[in-house]
Amino acid sequence: MVGLSAGERQFIYGGIAQDLRSDGRQRLQFRPISVQTGVIPQANGSARATMGATDVIASIKAELGKPAPLRPDKGKVSIFIDCSPTAAPVFEGRGGEELSAELSVGLQRCLLGGKSGAGAGIDLSSLIVVEGKVCWDLYIDGLVISSDGNLLDALAAAIKAALSNTGIPKVSVSVGASGEDQPEVDVSDEEFMQFDTSGVPVVVTLTKVGRHYIVDATLEEESQMSSAVSVSVNRHGRVCGLIKRGGTGLDPSVVLDMVSVAKHASETLIAVLDSEIASAEAIDDDDAI
Amino acid sequence: MRELHVSLNQTQKVRLQAAFQHLSDIGSQASSGLLVSVSDTIPVNNEDGILKGHGTSEHDGQVVATLCGVVERVNKLVYVRALRARYKPEVGDIIVGRVIEIAPKRWKLEINFSQDAVLMLQSMNLPDGIQRRRTVVDELNMRTIFEENDVICAEVRGFQHDGSLHLQARSQKYGKLERGQLLRVPAYLVKRRKQHFHDLEQYGVDLILGCNGFIWVGEHVVPADNEMVEDQESTLKDKEQSYTPLEIRQNICRIANSVRLISALGFAISVDAIIDTAEASKSSNIDIKDMLGAEFYVQTAEREVQKRISLLKKKRG
Repeated sequence: MVGLSAGERQFIYGGIAQDLRSDGRQRLQFRPISVQTGVIPQANGSARATMGATDVIASIKAELGKPAPLRPDKGKVSIFIDCSPTAAPVFEGRGGEELSAELSVGLQRCLLGGKSGAGAGIDLSSLIVVEGKVCWDLYIDGLVISSDGNLLDALAAAIKAALSNTGIPKVSVSVGASGEDQPEVDVSDEEFMQFDTSGVPVVVTLTKVGRHYIVDATLEEESQMSSAVSVSVNRHGRVCGLIKRGGTGLDPSVVLDMVSVAKHASETLIAVLDSEIASAEAIDDDDAI
Repeated sequence: MRELHVSLNQTQKVRLQAAFQHLSDIGSQASSGLLVSVSDTIPVNNEDGILKGHGTSEHDGQVVATLCGVVERVNKLVYVRALRARYKPEVGDIIVGRVIEIAPKRWKLEINFSQDAVLMLQSMNLPDGIQRRRTVVDELNMRTIFEENDVICAEVRGFQHDGSLHLQARSQKYGKLERGQLLRVPAYLVKRRKQHFHDLEQYGVDLILGCNGFIWVGEHVVPADNEMVEDQESTLKDKEQSYTPLEIRQNICRIANSVRLISALGFAISVDAIIDTAEASKSSNIDIKDMLGAEFYVQTAEREVQKRISLLKKKRG
C-alpha cells in the first residue's frame, strides 16, 4: 500500500472536515454499488459485488451433514474469506492470512451471531432436514479480487446477494428409518428451495478520521483512520453485530453516536442493495430463459 | 492504478458502443501506419535488405509482428511501436514522483518506471537558497527538505550507464507538492507538450501533468523565494484554519474527477480536455461525485465524438 505525504494527509483531513472528500462524495455517501448474481454456476449461489474499485465475489455451497449435538435443530454455516494476490502483491503466499482471518471473524460476528446461534442474521433452523440427524451445511466463501477499502461492507453485500441467489435442493426423506441409523435422503436435482434473505443484515463500516466519521472509506482514507466501527444492521433497524477496529480508544458516547449514524446510513444502503439484487436476479432470469 | 468501474444499463451500453465505433472510424481515416497485432505478417518489399527491429521476428521466411502496435519504417529498418508501452523517459521530461528512500546524498523516487529515479542532493536547491557546496551537515538534514512519501515534481536530467534515471529540481517551480491530491493514470495517455505546469486561474488550481502518468491536482501555491522551513508545532486549530477553502476544494475535486473520467475512457489527457469536461459538468449542473457515474461517462464519450468530427471537418474544409 502506498504511503501518503504529510501534505496529502492534510488534504484528506481537510476534505473530511469540510464534508467534501477526494472524489466529491460527502461523508455519509457510498460509492456506486453494482451486483451480479450467478457468476459461479457450479455453486449453489454466488454473487459479485463492486463498491467503486473494491471487487469481491461470494459463493455458497450446500452439503448434507450432521447437526452439532448441542444444537440439533439448527444447520451449520461457516464463512471463510480469502484475499487474492491480484488485489495487492502483499497478499501473495501467506501475506493475506491476517487480513483474511480478520474479515472471516468479523463477518461471522455480524452475520451469525453468538456461539449458541442466537441472534443470527441467517435463519439456521431453516437448514434442518431431519432434526438431530441430517442438516444442510452452508459453506460461504468470499474472495477479494480488488481492494480499495471497505472490504467488510462489500463482502457482506456480496454474501447477501449470493444468499438470495442460493437454491437449496429439495430433500425427500425416506420413511421407515429407525431411530439410530442415518435416514435415507434423496436429494432432488430439479426442485430448489430459495433461501429467505429478508432477515440478512448489511454491514456499515464507519471510519473515524480526525473528529468526523466517514462511510465507505477508500484505501487512502483508511490509511489515515484512527479507529473504525463496523455495525451490522438488518432491515428492521436492529443491530445484529458490532466490531471495533483500530488502536485508538473511543469514548462510549462516540461509539453510541457512531452506531446511530450507521443505522441511518444503512437505510440507504439496504434500499440500493435490494434494488441492485433484484435487477441482477432479473437479468439472470432473462438469461436463463 | 485503480480502475473506474462504471455499471451501464442497456441504453447506455448501446450509446457507448456507437460512440466508440464512431471514434475508431474517424481514427482509421486519419491514421498513417499499419496496425498489427501479434503474429500478423508485415508486408515488406525487399526481403534481403530489411533490418528487423523491435517487435518483429522471422517466421517461415516472413517478417512477423510480436507486439500489438503500429508498423514504423525508417529507411531499411522495420519495427513495431507498441501503443500502450510502459513509461519511457526522455531527457527534459517533467515528472512527478514519490520519495521512497533516503540514501547517502540522494533521494530515491518511485516514478512508475522499471527502476527508481535518483534525485541527488546537489540537484536540489537548499532551503536558504545560497549556492554552496553541500556539507556533511546538509547531508544529515536531508530529511528537513524531503521526507519519505513526499510528492515531488522534478525534471529528468539524464540517464546513468546502468539505465537508472537522474533528476534535477533546481528551479523554483520544482519541489515538494502539498495541499492537493495525486492521481495515477496510464503513462501513454499523457503526451509530451511544451507546457506541463498549468495554473488554472479561474479555478485557483495548479495542475501538473507528469509524463510518467502521475498527475498532481492541488491548490495554487505561489512559489516563494528563500523561504526558511520553520519547525511548526501547530495545534489542531491552526491546522483547521489552514485547510484548503471549500470553493477551491470543490474545483480540485471536479478537475480530479475529470482526469479520472478521461483516463477511464482511454482518451489522451490534455489541459483542454480536462477543462472542457469540468466545464461541461458544471454547466449541466452535475454533482461532483456524479461525474464518475454512468450517465456522464457516456455523455463525455459522445462529446468527444462531436469534437473529433468537427476537427476533421475543419481540416478538410
